[in-house]
Amino acid sequence: MNTITLNAIIQVIHYLFFTYAFLAISSYIILSIISAFETIDYFKKNNFVDYTKILSSNIAPSISIIAPAYNERLNIVENVRSLLSNHYANYDVIIVNDGSKDNSLELLIKAYDLVKVKYLINPQLKTKPLRKGVFKSTNPAFEKLIVIDKENGGKADALNMGLNISNSKYVACIDVDCLLLEDALQKMVKPFLEVTNKKVVATGGVIRIVNNSIIKDGKLMEVNLPNKLIEKAQILEYLRSFLLGRMAWSRLNGLLVISGAFGMFHKKIAIQIGGYDTSTVGEDMEIIVRMRRQLEEQNMNYKVAYIPDPLCWTEAPDNYKTFISQRNRWTRGTIEVLRKHRKIAFNSNYRNLGLLSYPYWLIFERFAPVIEVIGIIYFGILIILREVKWDYALAFFILAYMFTVLLSLGAIYSEELTYHQYKKKGSGFKLVLISLIEPFVLHPFILYAAVKGNLDYFFNKKKRWGEMTRKGMGNITK
Amino acid sequence: METFKILQNYFQQLPIELQLVWILSSFLACIVITLSIYLKFLRNLLRKKEVLKIKLQHKYEGLLLSYLFEESNDNELSEHQNEFIKIIQSKINDDFKRKIIVETLLKLKNEVSGEIERAIQNLYLKSNLKEYAYQQIKSKKRYIVANGIKELAQFKVKEAYPEVKKLLKHPKKEVRKEVELYLVSLFHFEGLEFLNNLKVNLSEWDQIELLEELKHFENQEIPDITPWLKSKNETVVLFSLKLAKIYNKYEIVDTLIQLLNHTNQKIRLQVIDVITHLQVLDAKEILKNSFKVRSLEEQIATLKMFENIYEPNDEDFIIENSTNNNFEIQYSALKMLKNISEKSFNNLLKKNNNFDNNILKFIQNN
Repeated sequence: MNTITLNAIIQVIHYLFFTYAFLAISSYIILSIISAFETIDYFKKNNFVDYTKILSSNIAPSISIIAPAYNERLNIVENVRSLLSNHYANYDVIIVNDGSKDNSLELLIKAYDLVKVKYLINPQLKTKPLRKGVFKSTNPAFEKLIVIDKENGGKADALNMGLNISNSKYVACIDVDCLLLEDALQKMVKPFLEVTNKKVVATGGVIRIVNNSIIKDGKLMEVNLPNKLIEKAQILEYLRSFLLGRMAWSRLNGLLVISGAFGMFHKKIAIQIGGYDTSTVGEDMEIIVRMRRQLEEQNMNYKVAYIPDPLCWTEAPDNYKTFISQRNRWTRGTIEVLRKHRKIAFNSNYRNLGLLSYPYWLIFERFAPVIEVIGIIYFGILIILREVKWDYALAFFILAYMFTVLLSLGAIYSEELTYHQYKKKGSGFKLVLISLIEPFVLHPFILYAAVKGNLDYFFNKKKRWGEMTRKGMGNITK
Repeated sequence: METFKILQNYFQQLPIELQLVWILSSFLACIVITLSIYLKFLRNLLRKKEVLKIKLQHKYEGLLLSYLFEESNDNELSEHQNEFIKIIQSKINDDFKRKIIVETLLKLKNEVSGEIERAIQNLYLKSNLKEYAYQQIKSKKRYIVANGIKELAQFKVKEAYPEVKKLLKHPKKEVRKEVELYLVSLFHFEGLEFLNNLKVNLSEWDQIELLEELKHFENQEIPDITPWLKSKNETVVLFSLKLAKIYNKYEIVDTLIQLLNHTNQKIRLQVIDVITHLQVLDAKEILKNSFKVRSLEEQIATLKMFENIYEPNDEDFIIENSTNNNFEIQYSALKMLKNISEKSFNNLLKKNNNFDNNILKFIQNN
């Protein structure tokens, strides 16, 4: 290969990388602008909504909170208490103990005066069988609580059991280690009830990070920034993702994922489409994609809604090992879901889903880490070949960095002007500082986890969930 | 200076695309620096605003309580009371303070009733706060209009009726919703007259709000809802069915039976629910005869209805459905059959083994 050909190839590769980066940045800018409009609209609309009527109304639709639990003894009693204190008249709480090896069930029995009851389960969705059975409380104060003890089948299987048990019109599927604010159900159910020109089939909520915040009796008393760099960086990442990304996709009715930590579904539709898929680690994304796919095939006029209020707070990984394991799983989940539903890709029969949401996820979420790694390897080769034009490399690196920081600042401003959760003096400075260093302290690990996720997906099929070590919210409490 | 010149020379000899990248980066860097610095001011401002809000809330709460419990002669206001009214009037044009005053009045108004509640309403009227709400309902922005109407409803300003009623057909649903709530909260069941000509959909959220508002009134005599049950607007029909259930409207049974043949399945389902609640025995035969042509949801609802009002002569219908493939129908039918006649139940088990084992086991053990 002569020098002219080599240079031509290098030029083409450069233009491909440039085009990809340009499209990615443009999409982030567009999404941020849409998100700003949607947030302003949401705030104006909900500024004078009176939630007191719905919270006490007996005619408000019934909701079941379904919370799968696996070895959650550290948090379970406290978190169930928080779930039982929701301000909504017509709801129940279904805890599915998914074959825990610890004493979670015994703790629940003791704390909530549970006794085994006879309960006929409609097996609309196939699940693993019951282990010790169904339990209800003898104490009227906990009459809303149902605990199911079943053989271990994974999170999706436990959620399916909850769907079978529920007698409600809507189900809120949450992680039991999440702390739900008291007004969460009223706010999450609103989109289902207010939209008349479309059928709302699911609503997603924002997930916030609770590390280092003060919790008392299952209630969030004070929001604090965590101490560790990795935790703080995740706060910024969540703000960007939820306040800028998902808000915009909601406006475009193109949401492909509702966080497994907190989402609400129209139960009948969730069952009609076959419930959660137990064969994937990305069950939260899969159910939404399948739901949308089937509704598109039925030509139904539907919407997947999203609300930005900070209603659900969860513990984020506080060490790189757990963080990488979590992101590895997210990557595998995304690959599994996109591969399973590849028929949707660029298919005009699926309208926005096929032409906008799916392609976006495929190109800018699924392939982003792969392209980034190829870029790094390519850069290494150029260094070896002494073909790097350093003035170009430096200029583009700084441009990309500035844009990343600006995007993070946009998310911080969005948070400050809306919910202003981190009120303590100095928190603003810390957030700005994190936005400056996050590309170096968090992004490399996200990239590493994504690459590992790709490798595990293709070469280590046996790998499933991985463990998340919990400190317990009792420890977070001051 | 030397460094600047070196940089300037370096920049000038760069290709145009690189110059553009550096210009863009510098521009972004300026924005980043500005935003980072401004964030401190913004956060300070937000914190100060919060502190001021709490301070003003306490101040106005104190003044309001003094106003309400001040002794006055011959219905004339005391000097202190007039002073408080003057304070409110002076803050009307300050959006922030006005909002806090209104919130303070509302907070206390919602906690009290009778004389004190009326005194708060009078204060709202006397202090000209309502004038601001009137201005709001003339705004071109839908959320401001809606907010104005809401305030007038909360302080029960009946004089605003002609102005508010004009907005009943407003193109924006946020405004229409507040008008509807205004009418109901001030004119109770009479306020529901807007349903006669309602062309747009009444969301379930709106329906719940209206029904909850209606629950607060002493007089629970509701007007004839038959015209609304026959409305062409299906959401009005659904709302009226909720009224029929809550207020036990036995007199509309004939209309309910007619509605069992409505084209909208959601309405038919809700009719069965109301019929179940009112225990309309006349509907039983109609539902039995039309059972097979009804949707699965209606069939399930029908069996649920029968669970409350079944009689021995329903046995054939129940036996017919005890082998239904649907879990809920089969369970309801077998449960009823066992209660009507254990003998028939056992005979059926001997003749047929087409049952769900879980259901059988559960019914036999209970």
